[in-house]
Amino acid sequence: MSTKLADGVTCHAWSPDRKRIAVCENSERVYIYKNADKPSVTDWVKEHELVGHDLVVSAIDWSPVHNKIVTCSHDRNAFVWTFTDNEWKPSLSILRINRAALDVKWSPDGTKFAVASGAKVVPVCHYESHNDWWISKMIKKHKSTVTSVAWHPNSQLLATGSTDFRCRVFSAFIKDIDRPTNSILGDTGRFSFGDQIVDFDASNGWVEGVAWSPSGNQLAFVGHDSSISFVDFEGGSSVCKSLKSKELPNQKVMFLSDTVVVA
Amino acid sequence: SEFHLIALVFYQANTLRPYLNTVRHTLDASLCLRNFPSQTVERHNKPEVEVQSSKELLLNPVMICRNEQEKCLIESSINSVRVSIAIKQADEIESILCHKFTSFLMQRSEQFIVMRRKPAKGYDLSFLVTHMHLERMWKHKLIDFLIEFMEDIDKEISGMKIAINARARIIASEYVKQFCP
Repeated sequence: MSTKLADGVTCHAWSPDRKRIAVCENSERVYIYKNADKPSVTDWVKEHELVGHDLVVSAIDWSPVHNKIVTCSHDRNAFVWTFTDNEWKPSLSILRINRAALDVKWSPDGTKFAVASGAKVVPVCHYESHNDWWISKMIKKHKSTVTSVAWHPNSQLLATGSTDFRCRVFSAFIKDIDRPTNSILGDTGRFSFGDQIVDFDASNGWVEGVAWSPSGNQLAFVGHDSSISFVDFEGGSSVCKSLKSKELPNQKVMFLSDTVVVA
Repeated sequence: SEFHLIALVFYQANTLRPYLNTVRHTLDASLCLRNFPSQTVERHNKPEVEVQSSKELLLNPVMICRNEQEKCLIESSINSVRVSIAIKQADEIESILCHKFTSFLMQRSEQFIVMRRKPAKGYDLSFLVTHMHLERMWKHKLIDFLIEFMEDIDKEISGMKIAINARARIIASEYVKQFCP
């Protein structure tokens, strides 16, 4: 009854209007399909092919703010693709990592993107118009590969999950780009870039996925020990509660609303 | 991690099913693998259970024992699992048969895709399953294969031993016929 798109799909991202989808089918290429709002995969039409990476593409993110796609791969690179003249053109991003990239996410305001990498650092890149490229600032302090990143709705706080069993929240406040705001964790202007604000070791397994609630008041992360942990930041302090399940571990977690979570 | 060293001792009579069920459930949990690029060498992708380069990427090994001789060691990591089995060898004939049979199989390990060319130390046969295998094969079918393999190998060796004894008896009686009419 159902047809397959490919033998394996590594990652995907929906376009802002949800009519197109960018998919990596376990290779170095990314295909953009249009008519992706049709429920049957046979109606999808391959529209564009993004060629640029040497090794498998591990994550794609499509920003609704400026319609740019960012892709990252095991070949230590990330490209930002812009749609001009009916073509997707890549632009260089200097990540400065010497290991593979595992996850990439645009900040909600579209000015920055963060990359989770095996080099145990998280480069946060912003655009430098002087040289027309994206340059990075590093968040260090991880003891092992970073598997996933998630931006707080205010685009200045970043949560990361890592194979060192911890979930951490960092400040990704870049002075020339961001304006300090009052967040649930305090005034963001207080922290300088790369400061670790809190960290949680509630998981006994590798942290595979992290997500913020739409309001930014809660954080959830899933671990390889089949646990899902929720952190509530309200009231100024962080309270972390974990649930263990008897099933196999979850790999990703997502908030549908402030009260509903899918994993 | 959630795995600890387990030694399960059962009575001989009805131990096969519980033993295989335990192995099946442990494999089901261990085979949650993901594509994980090496964090020690750039652009490389290695089975972490074999290189053992980063301790945090390895899970605690689990040993499931049916009795003193027959056991199964499952070593797990973020992108690969090594399953080693020790086969029942009750007497010398079974020991020789087991040795010859496993070395026959291991020489042709490419045909079995997940078989390792050399067994782990202290065991007779080893399998190495990586995330790439799970991308191509169904996980439940792969586990079925491993469990059936463990069951069948005992039957094969017993079958061969019976065949040897039968053949020896036939040959001996033919030989003696020369001397006693």
